[in-house]
Formats: sequence, structure tokens, C-alpha cells
Amino acid sequence: MMLPFLIIIPLLGAFSMPIMSLLGEKARNAWAILVSALTLGVASKVFYDVWSTRQLVVYTLGANTPLGKGVNFPIRILWEVDLFGALIALTIAFVGFLAVLYSIEYMKHDTGLDKYYTLILTLELGMLGIVITGDLFNFYVFLEIMSIASYALVAFRNDTWEGIEAGIKYMFVGSLASSFILLGIALLYGQYGTLTMSYLAVKIAQNPTLVGRVALGLLMGGLLFKSGAVPVHMWLSDAHPAAPSSISAMLSGLVIKAGGIYALTRIAFSIYATSINIKTVGWLVIFFGCLTLIVGNAMAVVQTDMKRLFAFSSVGQIGYILLGIGIGLAAYGTKIGDIALAGAIYHTVNHALMKALLFLTAGAVLHEAGTKNLNELSGIAKKMPFTSFAFLVGAAAIVGLPPLNGFASKWLIYESSALYNPFLAAIAVAGTAFCTAAYIRVIFTFFGAPSEAVENAKEPGKAMIVPMLVLITAIIIMGLLPWQINDRIMLPTVDMLKDQLHYVIAVVGGA
Amino acid sequence: MIPLQFITAFLMLFMGFYAFLYKRNLLKLILALDVIDSGIHLLLISFGYRLEDGTLPTAPIYTGYETLKGTPMVGPIPQALVLTSIVIGVCVLALATALTINAYRHYGSLDINKLRRLRG
Repeated sequence: MMLPFLIIIPLLGAFSMPIMSLLGEKARNAWAILVSALTLGVASKVFYDVWSTRQLVVYTLGANTPLGKGVNFPIRILWEVDLFGALIALTIAFVGFLAVLYSIEYMKHDTGLDKYYTLILTLELGMLGIVITGDLFNFYVFLEIMSIASYALVAFRNDTWEGIEAGIKYMFVGSLASSFILLGIALLYGQYGTLTMSYLAVKIAQNPTLVGRVALGLLMGGLLFKSGAVPVHMWLSDAHPAAPSSISAMLSGLVIKAGGIYALTRIAFSIYATSINIKTVGWLVIFFGCLTLIVGNAMAVVQTDMKRLFAFSSVGQIGYILLGIGIGLAAYGTKIGDIALAGAIYHTVNHALMKALLFLTAGAVLHEAGTKNLNELSGIAKKMPFTSFAFLVGAAAIVGLPPLNGFASKWLIYESSALYNPFLAAIAVAGTAFCTAAYIRVIFTFFGAPSEAVENAKEPGKAMIVPMLVLITAIIIMGLLPWQINDRIMLPTVDMLKDQLHYVIAVVGGA
Repeated sequence: MIPLQFITAFLMLFMGFYAFLYKRNLLKLILALDVIDSGIHLLLISFGYRLEDGTLPTAPIYTGYETLKGTPMVGPIPQALVLTSIVIGVCVLALATALTINAYRHYGSLDINKLRRLRG
């Protein structure tokens, strides 16, 4: 059973970091890379196991049968991993590993790095916990581990006002969202007397009450806050640019997915799908998705700060994912819903890779040229050809050009929304137009006439090049095999996600 | 009839939300977060304490004290949950006060409206 090591390894690694850093800088860096590489190994193994057997992995903390032999009543904390959780866990471990590798050089000039590596591993641990847990309160605990680590990492450079201001805003909004989620969980416990997701699904199906619906509303509100949907996206555009770039890559690529999108999908599909009128919920998510993808992409066009532009672009891409999930909910049980959901999950993984690559290139530019203001960065392509190439790949992928990975996932979302309601497809295409405009502007800056600020810029060192190279390779390989990945990974994921009955039976037992 | 502790809990929640929306001092915002959290904790704790047939529930597991057969017990799970949640709340409060101190160093003010340099 490999599953517990997904938590044990980063937890041990995070809190032994101060001890390892007593042995010197090299030992600390090596330890950070080793721990995140091992986590990646375990995550791949868990993913491969779940993918090859198509069976849920259930792990109970404590006795399997606390009430005596044969009674399989879920009164214990348990972890339950299906293909969706395993896929997101693999993405988290992959991007987390690259972010740690990148930090080795990017953060070299900062102090307090033992705390930095402790926090980055804690952040990874929190996200991994969210995607493997099968218990609502356990989910809340991991959510808070992730959130607290990310507040601290946004404000890590506390000698600058930028980090502090962004950290404070992020912290207040995030804590309010966490309170909403906790209130929702408390209401569910008060009404149904259980916190295990699969048993809760049974209870709610037997007796769908008003309290259950209010709790769903509170949970959804909190999770939309955390994923940066539009009426409440203000914290995202402040927090993600202000963090160190390796952290921005994790925040934009992973945190809003694990703590927002994944949890939203899991709660909607595994707990509520069959017990309440899911179509209304779906249209609500579609509404927020459309709003998010228009506003996010449109705001990206007018930014002058490169990282801020990427952050708004993240808001826009979250809109696409929400649109896909919304159609998946509204058209639950039909072929269109399946395609939309596959597109949303595919785009979640793709966006994690693309946005991580873009933030890493932004970090390289910031590290070498000393500025992220687009008005001063003209002509950086001559001095940093590799970084510019990496940016070009990331931008083309996020816009959705055919040979790269963003094309397939966006195509699935367009296709399903056009089939479901052509008006939604029109909105999605309009969002992409804004997105293209924003990135073309950056490309023109990169390849324009050289300016003063970039004169001393040069390519960054190996530890920063390698993560970008790995991400480029991943994007191109995924781009070359879009439909194979869709058929072999994404559609089975959707099948397992929609199979609420198996999710319940794996824990409660019986048939 | 709605039990008094539920009314108190929701009153605390709304007090916290009011303070969170209308106060500008960072320390008051931190207190508002704490009041919201305490309201939720009160709600959770009172879910464990239910009157059944008019008999008061007794302590769940207590060494040297035998529960009377048939008397209802106070639910132990909400207490464990609240304990965990309090610990998490302490972490958030510690981080919040640390950030507030740093903000005062940079801005010379605790007014949230003065923290407006990030724009765009």
C-alpha cells in the first residue's frame, strides 16, 4: 500500500528540513529535491495502480472494522482515491518537483531558505491530502494546511511591501472562504451525523433536506472563492504576481485547482449528484464560468505587469474549467456532459503545466532583467532566446494552437458547449479572442527592438533551464497525442468520477 | 423551538461578518475572523449536546465515572473536531498578527484602505 507515503514523505521532509539545513546549503537543497522526487515517484505509482486496475483505493486510518468484525460502518477517517484524485495528485507532484528544482537557483539570494523549503513541501502535502481524502473534515484540515502555507509563501519576501500587502489580502479572503467551508461541513454534520463523503452521499440521497442544500451553497461559495471565480477574484490577481515565481507557478498551476476545482467537482459529483436537482447547480457553475472567462481574459489584455497578466489569464482559464464542469453537471448522464467533463479535467492538467511554464519564464526574466514591467522589457528575445522560446510554447499552448496540449482540451470544451447551448460556445470563443490578444502583446514586447533594461540580461543557469525544458517537452508530447490521452486517461477518469455507486460501495460495503 | 445555543452561534456569525465587512482596522478584522470561527465552533459543539426525552446527556468517556445505562451521552466527535479547528484557528491568527506587524512597518498604518498600492 503506497498511498500513506504520499503524505508521510513530504510531511517528514518538510519538518526535517531545519535539521538538514544545519548540515549546510548543499545538503538542504539535495534533501528538498530528494523528497519531492520521492513524492513524485509515489504519486506515479498510485496513479498507475488506480489507472491499470480501475479500482478505487481505500485506506483507513486506524482499524478497518472499529465496531467489530464484519461491520463495515464508516465512523473512521479514511482516504479514498479514484482516477481523478490520482491524476491531480500526479500533476501536483510533477509540478511541485519542478518548482522545487527551479527554486534552487531562483531563490539563491534570499535568506531563511530552510523555512521556504519547509513551507513549499507543506503546500504540496496539503494539496496531495485534499485530492486523496474521503472525509470532509479531513479535507478541511488539509485545505487549511495548504492555505496557511500559501499565505506564508506569498508574504515570504517580507522586506517588500508588495508581498506583505498581497499576503494580507489573500489571507483575509482565504480565511473567510475557509470559514464558509467549515460552516457548511458543520451543518452537514449536524444534519446527517457523519463526515465520510460516501456515507454522506447515502444519507443525503435518503433524506435531502434544506440544510443539505444550504450546506452545498456554503461549500460551493467557499470553493469558488478559493478557485478565484470572478466576483471574488481580486485576491488572486494580487497574490499570484507578488509571490516568488516558483511559488506563483504552484499557486496558479495547482493551488486553485486542488483547493477549488477538484474539491468542487468531488463534492458535486460524489456527494450530491443523484440526490438533488443537479441541473440548477450546473447552470450556476456555468454562469460563474462564463463570467470568469470573459472578465479574466479581458482584464489580462490591459495589464502592464507580466506576472499580473499571467494571473488574470489564470482567472480566465479557470472560467473554461468551470464552464466544462458546469456543463458536465447540467447535462449529467448524457454524452455531452461526459465530453465537457473530460475537457474540464484535461484542461485542469494542461493548464497546470502551461501556467507553471509561463510563470517560470516570467521568473527567469525577472531574475535576469530585474523587471517584470512589459513596457521596459522590449527586445528580451535577443538576450534570452531559450526563455523566449519557452514563453512562446506556453503562450501558444494556452491560446490553444493545434500542435500543443491546450488545443485538445479547449476543443473538447468548445465542442460540448456548442452541442449543449451554442450561446455558451460563443462566449468561450470570445474569451479566447481576448486571451490571444493579451499574449500577442507580450510576444510583440519580447521580440521588439531591444531597450536599456534588457542589456545586461543573459540566460539563467541550468537549475532554472531544466524545469522549463521538462515542461516544454511535456506540453509538446501531450500535444502530439491528444486523442489517445483523452481516450485512455480522461474518459475513464470521467467514468470513475460519475460512478457514484462504486464510490459509496467501496466504503460502505454491500451491493 | 430553536435551542438558545444555535441562536447564539448564528448571532456570533453575523456579528463577525458585520465586523469583517464594515471595519477597517486590521486588528479588528483579525478579531472578526476569530468571532466567526468561534460561532462555528459553538454551533458544532452544540450539535453534540442534545436533549433526548428530557434527560440531560452525560460526559462521554470519563475514567472513574460509570455512565448510567440508557442515559444519552454527549457526542465526542464534535469535540474532537472543534479542538482541531481551534488549533488551525490559532495558526491563522498567529500568521495574521505577524503579517499585520509587517504591514505596519511598511505602511505605518493599520487601515486596510491604506493597503492599496497594488493596482491594475
